[in-house]
Amino acid sequence: MVRRALFDGEQSFAMLMVAPALLVLLATTTFPLVYLFWNSFHSVNLAMPFMNRFVGLANYAAMAHDADFWHALGLTAIYTVSTVVLQVVFGLALALLVMEIPRGQWLFRIVAILPIVLAPVVVGLFWRTLLLAPNFGILDFVAKWLGFGAVNWLGSPTPALISVIVIHTWQWTPFAFLVMLASLASLPTEVYEAARIDRAGALRRFIHITLPLLRPAIVIVVIMRAMIALSAFAAIFAATGGGPGTATEILNLYAYRTSFVKLDFGYGSALAVALLLITLLVSSVLFIMRTARVR
Amino acid sequence: MATNATISPRRIALYLAAAIVVAIWAFPILWAIVVSLKSESEVLAYPPRVIFTPTLANYRDALFGGFSILPSFFTSFIVSAATTVLTIVFAVPAAYAFARLRLPGKRAIGFYTLVTQMIPPVGLVIPYFLILSKIGWLDSYQGMTTVFLTFSLPFAIWLMVSYMEDIPREMEEAAFLDKASRLQTLWHVILPQVRGGIAVTVIFVFLNAWNEFLFAVQLGGNKVRPVTVAMYGFVSVEQTLWAKLAAAALIAMLPVVVIGIAAQRQIVKGLTVGAVKGGGRR
Repeated sequence: MVRRALFDGEQSFAMLMVAPALLVLLATTTFPLVYLFWNSFHSVNLAMPFMNRFVGLANYAAMAHDADFWHALGLTAIYTVSTVVLQVVFGLALALLVMEIPRGQWLFRIVAILPIVLAPVVVGLFWRTLLLAPNFGILDFVAKWLGFGAVNWLGSPTPALISVIVIHTWQWTPFAFLVMLASLASLPTEVYEAARIDRAGALRRFIHITLPLLRPAIVIVVIMRAMIALSAFAAIFAATGGGPGTATEILNLYAYRTSFVKLDFGYGSALAVALLLITLLVSSVLFIMRTARVR
Repeated sequence: MATNATISPRRIALYLAAAIVVAIWAFPILWAIVVSLKSESEVLAYPPRVIFTPTLANYRDALFGGFSILPSFFTSFIVSAATTVLTIVFAVPAAYAFARLRLPGKRAIGFYTLVTQMIPPVGLVIPYFLILSKIGWLDSYQGMTTVFLTFSLPFAIWLMVSYMEDIPREMEEAAFLDKASRLQTLWHVILPQVRGGIAVTVIFVFLNAWNEFLFAVQLGGNKVRPVTVAMYGFVSVEQTLWAKLAAAALIAMLPVVVIGIAAQRQIVKGLTVGAVKGGGRR
């Protein structure tokens, strides 16, 4: 009896503790999201509000014939896959490198924390003005000095895409690095020592011992970074604004431009819904892969 | 530790690689500091000069000049602080219930919280623009803070859950035997135990709020213009005044850089708490 009373009290108390946060989440995230869905089935154009009406699936049907949408979708895939792969590979390589250097690890940690805490918009601006700008940017100077000639990094399509990928990778590789470093440091020391002593088989030991042990950390980094890459906005917006033309306009920026520049909120909403579905799909695939292999 | 002082080629290669890595990540920030100390004509000098007479004029201008960054700095502080306080108030009790209590529908609610965290910001900024303009909350502190809760609250709940799970059960049981109420237990027993976790959460929420751009640029305005938006506006208005931009950006980023370096340990812990521990869970 007493115990049951305790449990009953526990449940209602637990609900009381969760209720405020849950109500806030419902009001601030779910309600706008429902409104987004609602708008995606309507024509909502702030330039022509008198034309607003229910259009059913027309916005979604329009996507099929929208070259800009497919272009943005392709860029999103390239941007997400390349930045995530680069972050994981470089992050892991750097963590392994730093583990080999017994002294001065604090220097790496300090240098690594700085890009992470900077606002992406500021990072994008720094790269655009100080590093990549034609004539005045330092990288342009270095490229000329090395004999590559002037490269208009942000002014032509392929270099611009490479640039925004490099910028994202520069800012977030330290995140992967710090997570990998912490995971490496938490590995059982015997295993790690064994891997170090036997230098002849270093590569094989890395593949057969270190990598499997690091797997949970790598998977988490991939999931977290993929989510962030899919919703990347500020750094690209500040560096290229999606341009030149639409050369760096990932789906996120396309949905933004459709809504806030073209003022076509109905189609913009449909694009945002598409991005949301892609995000949920990618994350559930990654989560399933994560749990499937652990067993 | 092997402390052989012999200089092997492998060792040299290691240190060289390390030096290059540090240079790549430190350079853009160091270069921004260098540029911020130049006069505008010095910035446009070609080839770029490393030796020049440094000036603090850009900082003076960024702080007290025509496009002073101070009002934006103040705005960012208010919005970030308000977001942080509200987030902690809502997240901590919820995380306690998730981590420690029998909660009906725990899995479903937990999943829901996780999904809200994955909504791409552009999917929220579009409806929010329409909603806030209807209720007249565009360019308002209450509007901005409300919108910032969308990304800070789910994140904070999950971070706090992982700290709550680390508290030994015995502490709560002892409190129950002493006939402490549940609220008293949370306040006097649990909270002191997760002070570190709350500190980490506060740091992350504040940093994310300070650095937010998409919501800020679209839902703010002349009254509520956080530093990130001010920086962006600076480039569009003053095309090539990069020395001033660099100075203003460095001032704008000073709080997060100071927090980043001072709380570096806590931040790394927060980043890794899910990654290192999360592997075994679920």
